Amino acid sequence: MAAKIISLNLKVWRQNGPDKKGALENYRLENISIDMSFLEMIDVLNEKLTVEGKEPVAFDHDCREGICGMCGAVVDGIAHGPEKETTLCQLHMRHFQDGQTLTIEPFRAKAFPVIKDLVVDRSSLDIIIQAGGFISVNTGSAPDANGIPVPQHKAEQAMDAAACIGCGACVAACPNAAAMLFVSAKISQLALLPQGAPEREKRALSMVQAMDKEGFGNCTNERECEAVCPKGISIRNIARLNREFLRASLLSDEQG
Amino acid sequence: MSWFTQTIKSSLGKKYIMSLTGLMLGGFLLVHAAGNSSIFFGRAAFLSYAGHLHGLGFLLHAAELLLLAIFLVHILTGTILFLGNLGARSSRYAVHNSAGGRSWGSATMPYTGMVIFCFILIHLFNFHFTDHSRTIADIVAEVLARPFYTFIYIVGLSGLGLHVSHGFWSMFQSLGISHPKYDRVIRACAWLVCGLITAVFILIVLLLLVNSNILV
Amino acid sequence: MQLDAKIPEGPLSEKWDRRRFENRLVNPANKRKYEILVVGTGLAGASAAATLGELGYNVKAFCIQDSPRRAHSIAAQGGINAAKNYQNDGDSIFRLFYDTIKGGDFRSREANVYRLAQVSNNIIDQCVAQGVPFAREYGGTLANRSFGGAQVSRTFYARGQTGQQLLFGAYSAMMRQVAAGKVTLFPRREMMDLVVIDGKAKGIVCRNLVTGRLERYCGNAVVLATGGYGNTYFLSTNAMASNVTAAWRAYKRGAGFANPSFVQIHPTCIPVHGDYQSKLTLMSESLRNDGRVWVPKNSGETRDPVDIPEEDRDYYLERKYPSFGNLVPRDVASRNAKEVCDQGRGVGETGLAVYLDFRDAITRDGHDVIMRKYGNLFHMYEKITAQDPSCRPMMIYPAVHYTMGGLWVDYNLMSTVPGLFVLGEANFSDHGANRLGASALMQGLADGYFVLPYTICDYLAETGYNMHDTNHDAYTVAEEHVVQHIDALMKNRAAGKKGLQTVDDLHRRLGRILWDHCGMARNRDGLARALALIPELRQEFWDRVTVPGSGQELNQALERAGRVADFMEFAEIMVQDALAREESCGCHLREESQTEEHEALRDDANYAHVAVFEYKGEGKEAALHKEPLVFENVTPTQRSYK
Ligand SMILES: Cc1cc2nc3c(=O)[nH]c(=O)nc-3n(C[C@H](O)[C@H](O)[C@H](O)COP(=O)(O)OP(=O)(O)OC[C@H]3O[C@@H](n4cnc5c(N)ncnc54)[C@H](O)[C@@H]3O)c2cc1C
Ligand code: FES
Repeated sequence: MAAKIISLNLKVWRQNGPDKKGALENYRLENISIDMSFLEMIDVLNEKLTVEGKEPVAFDHDCREGICGMCGAVVDGIAHGPEKETTLCQLHMRHFQDGQTLTIEPFRAKAFPVIKDLVVDRSSLDIIIQAGGFISVNTGSAPDANGIPVPQHKAEQAMDAAACIGCGACVAACPNAAAMLFVSAKISQLALLPQGAPEREKRALSMVQAMDKEGFGNCTNERECEAVCPKGISIRNIARLNREFLRASLLSDEQG
Repeated sequence: MSWFTQTIKSSLGKKYIMSLTGLMLGGFLLVHAAGNSSIFFGRAAFLSYAGHLHGLGFLLHAAELLLLAIFLVHILTGTILFLGNLGARSSRYAVHNSAGGRSWGSATMPYTGMVIFCFILIHLFNFHFTDHSRTIADIVAEVLARPFYTFIYIVGLSGLGLHVSHGFWSMFQSLGISHPKYDRVIRACAWLVCGLITAVFILIVLLLLVNSNILV
Repeated sequence: MQLDAKIPEGPLSEKWDRRRFENRLVNPANKRKYEILVVGTGLAGASAAATLGELGYNVKAFCIQDSPRRAHSIAAQGGINAAKNYQNDGDSIFRLFYDTIKGGDFRSREANVYRLAQVSNNIIDQCVAQGVPFAREYGGTLANRSFGGAQVSRTFYARGQTGQQLLFGAYSAMMRQVAAGKVTLFPRREMMDLVVIDGKAKGIVCRNLVTGRLERYCGNAVVLATGGYGNTYFLSTNAMASNVTAAWRAYKRGAGFANPSFVQIHPTCIPVHGDYQSKLTLMSESLRNDGRVWVPKNSGETRDPVDIPEEDRDYYLERKYPSFGNLVPRDVASRNAKEVCDQGRGVGETGLAVYLDFRDAITRDGHDVIMRKYGNLFHMYEKITAQDPSCRPMMIYPAVHYTMGGLWVDYNLMSTVPGLFVLGEANFSDHGANRLGASALMQGLADGYFVLPYTICDYLAETGYNMHDTNHDAYTVAEEHVVQHIDALMKNRAAGKKGLQTVDDLHRRLGRILWDHCGMARNRDGLARALALIPELRQEFWDRVTVPGSGQELNQALERAGRVADFMEFAEIMVQDALAREESCGCHLREESQTEEHEALRDDANYAHVAVFEYKGEGKEAALHKEPLVFENVTPTQRSYK
């Protein structure tokens, strides 16, 4: 078994504001327990920096259980680090070697401007949802819940897609900074359910339009998004989005 | 904006264009490979094939023009996508890595595309824009007897193979054709088509290097 | 402080109808003239903002995270209750009401809880219509499970991600209103103060967490849906940004704070590993359906758990509570875990853990069956601890999880400050002294979708739509207050003082005090001691806290410092409340109040009330008021799980 304590060399992206120039800075950390999560390791770095009178590294996080989608950084070139289906907050230090050098960078995309250090602005994802990632039903106007039967396997597939936590790792990992996995997950969830049918075409048209407008890249089916997705969302959803959009473009009366 | 321009201007629309033009180019390659495999049967077979082709007259020219148009649309759209994608990531990562999604084929699409483009120019200058006072069999035999061209052709064709290895599957994905039921068939077809086209062409090149007499 | 709960007259089942009828309405054409500020976009806030937007009001919605989709509600795993009786197993609105009020150990209002049970069914309808992918049966109807010891299957769930899916439903409804121009989003904002003009809540002062600028917002009413304060204890299952700040500032502006000591401690969490630990992870309660809880018979046991023979194990829950066994309610399970650990029989490196063993279940049902049920939880456990629960027992320990206490509200969800409404975990209303599993999601959504939109109308109709703008003096005063507060937090470092401590260090110490003295079991001496320690620590905090950087930028240390400063003050009324309540009830064992068998003993004669604290000014002791609880439809009984 590896030692319970490791030391690390970190190269962390420091950038003092959206318009400032950033650079990697080197830090050395000793006595890192391998039971720590990656974020707790950064906590240790920050406590150390604070005590030394330096500015701690800014990074987003909230739930620390891999569900809120707030955390995220690129570790040695891989969004959320080397473990499959794991957010940064659920990545534990036992997956690293004593003396290893780690490069930690923010999620990079034109649509995700850096705010500070590892913190980026992902509001473009919210804007895409505003374009149609919903079912238009006012509070109070819903029929009885069992009035809309949904085949179990459809509900399961919809749930697979709905598991997206909106962390943006797919964008960060995509060589083209495309947001297709994110968009397709929402489109798929709602396309698979009967409740989503009335707005199906309009939704596909307007969400894709919003995605393009926000400056994300174009999908070239590289599959990197699927490989880093902490929730294991499949690119089959992207195929479904392609289908939905094609269908809507060719067959519907809707304008996006 | 009409629905049509709106569709083709969208990121997905461009992917449809890439897929459809890619599909047509792939179809052309298959036909081209099938026709060229007449070389394996010797000079007479090859010349007869060429003769039939030229016998089409006006139709052949129309097909050539159409092919050129498809090709240009594929290149143009591909270039737009490539530049757009470069712009979508304004600052680069210091460390690059793959989480395991990319394949050689997918990672090199724009570059193999450029290789293929150059290769096609050479190919056209070799066999199309050349002195047609001799038979096509003589021209082919002469060009491909030269190791330099063998090398060029093998590089070009490998690029093509790599391009198609991703392109074929990607075309289905972009058009939304994906289902657990027939995923494996698509993958298998992708490898088959890609392998077949590349193998036929490369075999011809190698054959003519070691034995250009076959066309004499 | 006047505590008028404004409960409608009439029989229990007609009260809500009656209130809806009595309420004044706002003319549809006038709704767009009103501006409502909704602080917090968890289940409660997002559902309220969406519904108010749909009704035509102009809404401004604020949250700390970069997107409303990330509110702490997202972490809820187990499910949401409703009295649909789809399983035909005898559930009804009255049964859900009864279970909830009994689960709360008869420390909540009958009328509120009944209304909650009534609207629970509408919630499920609404969520399904929004596309929430609840679990289904083969025939396509909704699936249910029994949860948290309920005798009927009334819990709806979406795998282990129910909170996430419900939140996405509410979030997407709200985003639809954003697109429609009715809701404006203000993410990465932290509410720093409430603005009260002529005794009415009229606005807020926020800090823009990106630029550091202070911003003023005015409205006709303010809705707080800012979640619970479990993080007062430093370690809890709550998200890192969960705080008491918004509620505390409202308290200081006149809102009564009810039952601050009512904190739920969840029995099945992954134990603490080391000092660096930043939060605790919940393991679903459902694990106790098949896992057996035990510790070694003797203290000082050093053998590996798998080598400890049957005769040296103490399955203490099964031994003490033969009829409920491992399925005793959360509070009983938590308290007993603490007890065995206090006896020195706890396991793990720290001795603060007990085993939850699946060996027998796997032998009985087979590995596959158990993995199908709990595979994802086992996986999550293994990710964190690197141990596989199918080979060796899990280690678990109780952790702070949920806060039943919160700002006092009347039946209309309005606090003691007119115009300030409080929803979700931030209010105190429906869970009494103990919340049942799967009922917080229900309450948050009930408040936001179905209660507030009706009740706020009455207030708005009464006060009209005229507003003061943000140049009013009250905003300037509030903002200056915030500036001073921030300056005070930054001053130590600016002055170059020596021996400074980080925010986390000080917060960790506060947590320790509360966990030791105001945790699962409390006694007079311990509480009195905490009451002495907290002001000392608070002083030390102000003298020694170090906050790097400046206030005019993204500064996460400053954010945390501000929240901890409020925890330091708030902790005091929490302990005061615990001290004053000399009974055991709900989650809390008051050691002086036990039966002969060492079980919790409630004291209805003296404590059947809501304890409400009123702010009396800086440095002054808070005043304690009581809202008596009257039970006309149920008879309080002593809970027994023997
Ligand atoms: C791990 C876990 C599992 C749970 N499982 C279940 C379950 O299975 N079933 C169940 O019923 N309940 C469960 N609960 C409880 C339930 O999730 C919460 O009680 C509920 O979601 C609270 O919702 P809320 O809307 O009141 O607040 P929250 O979701 O906490 O939202 C608070 C909002 O307020 C904002 N905010 C806070 N302070 C400020 C401020 N100062 N300024 C501006 N904005 C602010 C935040 O940004 C956030 O948007 C669980 C809780 C936890 C921790
Ligand atoms: S902090 Fe919530 S997913 Fe990592």
